[in-house]
Amino acid sequence: MTAVPPVDVERARARPTGHLRLARLVLSEYFTLVLCALYLAAVYPFVPEMLTAEVAANVLSDMMPLLVVAIGQTFVLVIAGIDLSVTAIISMAAVVGASVMTGTGGYLAGSPLAVPGAILAMLLVGLAIGAINGLSVTRLNMPSFIVTLATRMFFAGAAIWYTTFHSASSSIADLPAGFTAIAEGDVLGVPVTVLIAVAVAVAAHLTLSRSRLGRHIYAVGANPKAARISGVPVARTILITFMISGACAAITSVMYVSRMQTGSPIVGENILLDVIGAVVIGGTSLFGGKGKVLWTVFGVLFLVLLDTSMKLLGASLFAIFIIKGGVILLAAMIDTLRHRLMATR
Amino acid sequence: MALTRREFTVASLMGVAAMSGLTVAVKAQGTKTIAVLFDGLYSEFWVAGIQIIRDDLEKRGFQIMEAISDQDDNKQFEQVRAAIAKKVDGIIIVQTDSNAVIPAIKAANAANIPMVHFNRPPAPSDAFSVAIQADNQKIAREAVLHSCKVAKESGRKHQAAILIGDLGDPNAIQRRDGFEEAVGQFPDAVEVVARVPTEWNADTAFAGLTNALQANPDISFVFTSSDFLIPQITQALKAADKWAPIGAENHVIFTGFDGFPAAYGLMNDKLMDACGVQNLFYETELAIQAILDLQAGKTVEKLLLDPGFAITQDNLEEKKEEMWGYVLWKKENAG
Amino acid sequence: MTDSHPARTPPLLEVAGLTKSFFGVRVLHGIGYSLRAGEALGLVGENGSGKSTTMNILGGVHQPDGGAMLLDSAPYAPAGPGEAIRAGIAFIHQELNLFPNLTIEENLFIDGFPRRSRLIPLIDRAAIRRRTEDLLAQVNLDLKPGTPVARLSQGERQLVEIAKALGRSPKVIIFDEPTTSLTRREVDRLFAIIARLKARGIGIIYISHALEDVMTVCDHVTVLRDGALAGGGRRQDLSVPAIIAMMVGRSIDTVFPPRTVRPRAEEALVVEDLSQPGVAEAISFSIRAGEVLGLAGLMGSGRSELARMIFGLDRFARGRISVAGRPLENPTPITAMEAGIAFLTEDRRSEGLLMGFSVAENMVLTSLPAVAGALGLVDGRKVVDTAVSMARTVHLSTEKVSDTLVKHLSGGNQQKVVIGKWLLRQPAVFILDEPTRGIDVGAKQEVYRIINQLVERGSAVLLISSEIEELIGLSDRILTLCRGELTGGFERSPGPGPGFDREAIMTAATGVAVARTRTGTRDVA
Repeated sequence: MTAVPPVDVERARARPTGHLRLARLVLSEYFTLVLCALYLAAVYPFVPEMLTAEVAANVLSDMMPLLVVAIGQTFVLVIAGIDLSVTAIISMAAVVGASVMTGTGGYLAGSPLAVPGAILAMLLVGLAIGAINGLSVTRLNMPSFIVTLATRMFFAGAAIWYTTFHSASSSIADLPAGFTAIAEGDVLGVPVTVLIAVAVAVAAHLTLSRSRLGRHIYAVGANPKAARISGVPVARTILITFMISGACAAITSVMYVSRMQTGSPIVGENILLDVIGAVVIGGTSLFGGKGKVLWTVFGVLFLVLLDTSMKLLGASLFAIFIIKGGVILLAAMIDTLRHRLMATR
Repeated sequence: MALTRREFTVASLMGVAAMSGLTVAVKAQGTKTIAVLFDGLYSEFWVAGIQIIRDDLEKRGFQIMEAISDQDDNKQFEQVRAAIAKKVDGIIIVQTDSNAVIPAIKAANAANIPMVHFNRPPAPSDAFSVAIQADNQKIAREAVLHSCKVAKESGRKHQAAILIGDLGDPNAIQRRDGFEEAVGQFPDAVEVVARVPTEWNADTAFAGLTNALQANPDISFVFTSSDFLIPQITQALKAADKWAPIGAENHVIFTGFDGFPAAYGLMNDKLMDACGVQNLFYETELAIQAILDLQAGKTVEKLLLDPGFAITQDNLEEKKEEMWGYVLWKKENAG
Repeated sequence: MTDSHPARTPPLLEVAGLTKSFFGVRVLHGIGYSLRAGEALGLVGENGSGKSTTMNILGGVHQPDGGAMLLDSAPYAPAGPGEAIRAGIAFIHQELNLFPNLTIEENLFIDGFPRRSRLIPLIDRAAIRRRTEDLLAQVNLDLKPGTPVARLSQGERQLVEIAKALGRSPKVIIFDEPTTSLTRREVDRLFAIIARLKARGIGIIYISHALEDVMTVCDHVTVLRDGALAGGGRRQDLSVPAIIAMMVGRSIDTVFPPRTVRPRAEEALVVEDLSQPGVAEAISFSIRAGEVLGLAGLMGSGRSELARMIFGLDRFARGRISVAGRPLENPTPITAMEAGIAFLTEDRRSEGLLMGFSVAENMVLTSLPAVAGALGLVDGRKVVDTAVSMARTVHLSTEKVSDTLVKHLSGGNQQKVVIGKWLLRQPAVFILDEPTRGIDVGAKQEVYRIINQLVERGSAVLLISSEIEELIGLSDRILTLCRGELTGGFERSPGPGPGFDREAIMTAATGVAVARTRTGTRDVA
């Protein structure tokens, strides 16, 4: 230990030029997109359907809900937190929204306000659970992992319990056509869900990269002490990121509920690792201070491509888990390699 | 450090070029493909179910596209769409949620692909699909009736416990109703003292039955709404010193449901009196036939019932070949 | 090389003609030095002068392109750090390499626990304990071997590190900036230990920016500049200004640049009765616009805590703060900043900067509204323009403000980024806590120049420093703080000369009450 002098910075200054192009590709922020293309090329012989318009449309619409919730997660990861409760927010918002607008005993059944009322209720659920997470982290100084693990369990249970008051079966159906149109409708051929997701992505991108809040988020993620001394309202910034994550999860819930035409208390229960996996594959650091909306878009695309190809292959559940795990591990290894490369430049 | 747009475009084009060079598409030629989409493989029942479907489809020379949604409605919906994109000839589905499956049915309808629900019917809607379901109530009633007769013949009054499934599951409710109908006919022989809710959870079932046995130490008649709880029931009865074969002083009259291999094993060892059996072979037959009929343009009822049967100590030898659990049991215990 | 000492014995370590290039860039141009057993050699130079490369070659991390090293008169060319350790070269780093979650003895034996016997793979705890106690005694550390390192002070940890090195019977011990995070008492203790090591015949190589310390500890000094020898010699033949001149390549007559303005009349910051149990006791003072108020005190005297309370980072139980006549109630960093206070922390790496972020991003963090464009969104062009112009103002080494990450800058340039970030807010009151810690001489001068510009513009500066010379050179007034209480106030005496009574300030800072009648001294309140 004692006799290992620090490595010189100069050592890494210049590198052999032969690997320069490859290194540049690996270091580029489009790297995940390149991985997508490579993966597509690799599976194409086995699932030629991957390049049909129908599958492309499926990939696009499958991406949207995951993308929105992953964007919310990106915010939280950038402040070096984690939001495990997103799936519970999706479930809770789903049953609350459905209970508001369902034709069988909904609070606003038949009213023209049923659909906007339900969407508002869902967003409020997301913001409220996000606020609980954020306040617990900032006021009680608890690690976000524990806080959101707890709220995840609590609201996953609460969603099922809540359903029992509003439905005889295990989910709430009979939703108004105005709501299910969100999943089915389109504007000039562009699906409504895509429009919503693009709007969320653009707003999130501007917020993170261009707004004052965005600068605060990166600063808090990189070094909360320095951020505080620089006049960044650290606690408020953390609170807001959790509320953004909650709101994004609620929007995802709107998409799922509209797509399934059912408010189910277990909707989205299993997507947590997909959400965090997609963000991290995109390149956002689990240690905070680093992340971009565009990266998350690529990460989600990669994961959905992977999933779609597996579905088309008809691979067994075990095979899917093994392959998915393997590919994610590979992506993580490449990412580590990238960081090492980047650190030496 | 960043990749230029030009470089990216070049890289992408190269990727696409590489792909078109690889058009060795291994597309199935001429054979029919059936998608088999299960919610999960939580118990031997579902494992056996999917295996019987696989065997049957292979026997008929069909290709299979398999997927498990792992209790995720949305994933299942995406799997249905993938199956549609793959242009399968039919879909056999075990849905997670009876409401949430409806958009999937509509998508299949739109693509003109027949869809059959295996063992679980969907919620009512204007979408068209065929559901195969066991006649749970009848099967439960028949099995429990046999056990009630045994109880009556013993000449004393028995205290009974029922392990009820998840009340959100119509199958569970129908099985409970069948049980209640049967015991209602024998008020002198059987008195229900414990109704244990299990929520289809093994731990809940174990704790519930253990408590019931402590509160009512004289329980001597047990019905379980599913055989997957047999290990927990065995454990609880052993702890209460009530695990003994038929004829013994402390034997508990035990009725199962589903027809698991374990249930056959217990009947063979004279530890179980009767079991309501879902006829998986028949249900599979019904499901595949329904798809073939629909493709042929024939009319098929929206609900096809599997009448099932009760296997009892009296008809064990004669009926066991029809019991899926026995077939599996025989395989496991062969040689 | 620079040694004109009569050769009593052959040198312990002799290095000649070292050259080293990295990817075609030559960083060492024939460095040579020699070290005798029982003597200390000071190695000084600005950042980038080649000190660390020279030491990395000695430590086996790099192999030289040319030149030779002799250790105990035998050729010495370590292929790796492990070989260097075995040859008897020990390196005490600035950032200590101890595991705080382990005990002292575990740290000492982390790289090879003695076993009870070959057959039984169990650690021989008794042997470790005896050995640890022996090593701790050698460095005069009266601690139990089982004490977790996390409970030790910075100075104690350093001694543990030395004990660890002693465990390997080293011939040469290299100290890299050993005093930066030590209190004065700990520094004294360290120097006593070094003297003992010398007496045992161990050769010491001492690297430091603190030239006063170098002059205290070392028998010889070698000065490097731009990868070449710039001079050196026996301590007796050198002086601090002479060394500085060798380091920067020109003579610096006036370390502290002259100031043309006098403090104005109006009070920029008034602190009254500021108290927090155990930290501050009824502290009252004020700073006028255009005035530099120096705050002297030992480590732990509460000087940093005082600054943190004023800036709203730490709570206080009682007291009033007002800026430019307006009261600042329950300050938070945000309200303090709005009132016009800026705060440069003593810990630039963990509190002052976002190390992985660019110069521009760091600079504009405190003044985001100023760089907002349409819709309140941050205007990238304005960010760059603002940062570039500030980079010029503070004489930053680079103008590539968006591409340069601060972690790649030298300490001095990093400090300029922190200062620039606060200058953008044009603070009325600037609290500088150890602004020149760990930065080289040239950068120090830049900081002094910026302080002068600040007060010339009418800002008030509260300067906290461990270097008494710095306080004397820059302050209009100096207050001394000891155990949370103000123990003295000193006004600069007009005319030539140092302006302050150094001895009196030191005495007051160490807690001895100062008589009011003393020359150049006046009461605080």
